[in-house]
Amino acid sequence: MESLFLIKPGEILLKKENQKEFTRRLIQQLHKRLGDIGCTIEEYPGRFFLFVDERFSARAEFVLRHCPGLNGFSRASMCPKTVEAILEAAESVANKAIASGARRFKVETRRSDKSFPLGSYAMSAKAGEFLLEKYPTLAVDVHTPDLVVNIEIRERAYVYGYTEPGARGLPSGSSGKGLLLLSGGIDSPVAGYMMAKRGAPLECVYFHAYPYTSEEAQRKVEHLALKIAAWCGSLRLWVIPFTDVQMRIKKLAAENSTTIMLRSAMMEAANLLARRIGADAIITGESLGQVASQTAENMAITGAPSSLPIFRPLIGIDKEDTVTMAKKIGTFDISILPYEDCCVLFSPKHPLLKPSFAEQTAAYASLELTPSIEESLSKAEKFVYKYKDVLADFKIE
Amino acid sequence: MTYLDWAATTPPDVGILQRALEESSELFANPSSAHRAGKAAKQLLEGARSSLLSSLAPSLGGNKSPGGLAFTASGTEADQLPMLALLRNLMKGTPSASASQVRPHLVISAIEHAAIDSQAEALGRLGFDITFIKPEADGIVQPFKVAEAIRPTTKLIAVMAVNNETGAVQDISAIGRSIASGAASLGIRPPLFHVDCVQALGKIPLDLSGGNVTSAAFSAHKIQGPKGVGALWHAKPIEALAVGGGQEGGLRSGTENIFGISSFAACAAKAVSSLGARLEHALLLEESLLEGLKRISGSCAVPFGREPRDPRYSPWIVSAAFPGLGGEVLARALSDAGIAVSTGSACSHTHATKGRRILDAMGLPEEYSFSSIRISFGPDTELEEIHRFLSTAEDLYRRLKT
Repeated sequence: MESLFLIKPGEILLKKENQKEFTRRLIQQLHKRLGDIGCTIEEYPGRFFLFVDERFSARAEFVLRHCPGLNGFSRASMCPKTVEAILEAAESVANKAIASGARRFKVETRRSDKSFPLGSYAMSAKAGEFLLEKYPTLAVDVHTPDLVVNIEIRERAYVYGYTEPGARGLPSGSSGKGLLLLSGGIDSPVAGYMMAKRGAPLECVYFHAYPYTSEEAQRKVEHLALKIAAWCGSLRLWVIPFTDVQMRIKKLAAENSTTIMLRSAMMEAANLLARRIGADAIITGESLGQVASQTAENMAITGAPSSLPIFRPLIGIDKEDTVTMAKKIGTFDISILPYEDCCVLFSPKHPLLKPSFAEQTAAYASLELTPSIEESLSKAEKFVYKYKDVLADFKIE
Repeated sequence: MTYLDWAATTPPDVGILQRALEESSELFANPSSAHRAGKAAKQLLEGARSSLLSSLAPSLGGNKSPGGLAFTASGTEADQLPMLALLRNLMKGTPSASASQVRPHLVISAIEHAAIDSQAEALGRLGFDITFIKPEADGIVQPFKVAEAIRPTTKLIAVMAVNNETGAVQDISAIGRSIASGAASLGIRPPLFHVDCVQALGKIPLDLSGGNVTSAAFSAHKIQGPKGVGALWHAKPIEALAVGGGQEGGLRSGTENIFGISSFAACAAKAVSSLGARLEHALLLEESLLEGLKRISGSCAVPFGREPRDPRYSPWIVSAAFPGLGGEVLARALSDAGIAVSTGSACSHTHATKGRRILDAMGLPEEYSFSSIRISFGPDTELEEIHRFLSTAEDLYRRLKT
């Protein structure tokens, strides 16, 4: 048995000259994620149709739900372009929806094949009438239906009910590569998810300060990286042993600026790593004013060591909304595990709130951390997460 | 590995466990069964009970009645039983509406194990009033403070014999006398007095005789027995909240864990009979550890000023602070170096309050409670292991201190 999914691409349809390129990427991403399961994707203007073996329909749904670049998808049935066949398919769609509680419905028809004998309105009316007769518990409601029976008359006829929302955004690979500073907290995975939705392929970097931070904290970050890979398709996680750099900062920097110095050092390391792996931007989970180190003044200083653009997709998002997103993408429960990066080394009692850019960047330069940072990068540990790892993590066959 | 976490659990006495396993496999029948095989198992069970009772006899000597002894599934369960039994007594014969009119009251030391502390909090949410008695800076609870907290509505008082983090030994007899006079001054009968003896049995000379103790909890795996078995001694019958087949005098229903119980009784007998020699060994280890800590610049024993051979502390448990280095971090680094110790002070902010509950109750400055680790040992621990700990900790502290 084959399952058919009707796919609605979103934003890429707004592109003019580049639409072909975006479409190619989306199709490529779908194929890459679906893997070797013998599926076919048919492209038509404004609609893709995915045919997969019924055994892999759970995987198809997972992929469609997580693949950026599509607005939504539906399980559809395909039938010959005759009124009888369409009514039969509509009945089967309605039947399933009623079983899961649908009561109020409407029918919507789109007819791009103008040779079909019935007009869109007439086809909808006919199907509506037919379903009302078949299912006395149904009532028509064109404003707030809980079931929309969609009929599309194109190369063939397609009938489908509920459209599940997709990730929207742009297909992975359409934008430059981003290096995400992943900490294990709630924010950075969400920042990664947001940039993945903008089509950025991602790599992640985690600064490990063993033994000040635990192995469990690193395991947690590894798991978070896998959750983010569900959206961007695959990624690499770089674990940088940063203890020596931290110790140097602790030893040399003024107590109230240790946090700024550490963040600057992380940015310098991220910038060097980004250049080496060919990333075009750095991504952080910073949100304006959320903590003392995330003021505009602080971000100017901590961003200075990077010559690449720094994307902060959460900059104007409040914590509550971030938490909502983190729950949605399944990272929240991992992030709140009690293995925080307990940088007792770097929690000054009175951190600087409005530091001077000139003073602090000069102070940072005087720490001469670059050799230590280079040393830490040379000891980086690399973890590769492929889409099959994602599927295994989500227990998808 | 150098195992210095005996207060968490102990390496099992394989010889004893092996024998108990053979015996209980041979006499595998249900002790409640009426047939011969059942009776044989029952005999094994009752033999273990009288054996454990005689191991406890020196501690319970002065009590008017020998009381009863019920085996449980853990020390925690033995702690919960008398507390949960209060719920049954409260509801008995009282229409449910009026049961809530007088809020029953508990007096709990602020340094109890979670088995008591969390259970008291849970009862608090069910309508009990709880008074927590903080210890002094030395970790010792003052008897008069317990007495002062008693109200006419006080149902139960719980103070542990030996604290599991600091090793502080509470004066149970003095607290018991204090409770008696406190109750007398209010013209009431003394409330129940429960003592968690999990870190005391077979480790220090435990004296419960003059303390009007009504129940006491014990655990097997702290004295090289298996996990999953504990015991509750009770002066008078307790009517348990949870019921079932009525085993263990109705106190703890469920088919008895004969293997665990036999092992427990044998381990207790061995520990109690060799207590004198074991204590001498412990005092040597304690002295070496406390003196060694003094030589590590910046570190100190907790409570401050703890000296070797101070009878106020169990020599088996020593807490030490390394200011400037999180206890969790040092414990992790020690673990990498092959030394197992534990910490109550989790670095995690979300768990900080809980992890430092006992040291905080003593009023220990945060810098010290945050950086504390617990070193605990047993009869198999060698002096060499203490030295190894000291030199490793000194080295790590110097390198990692911030």
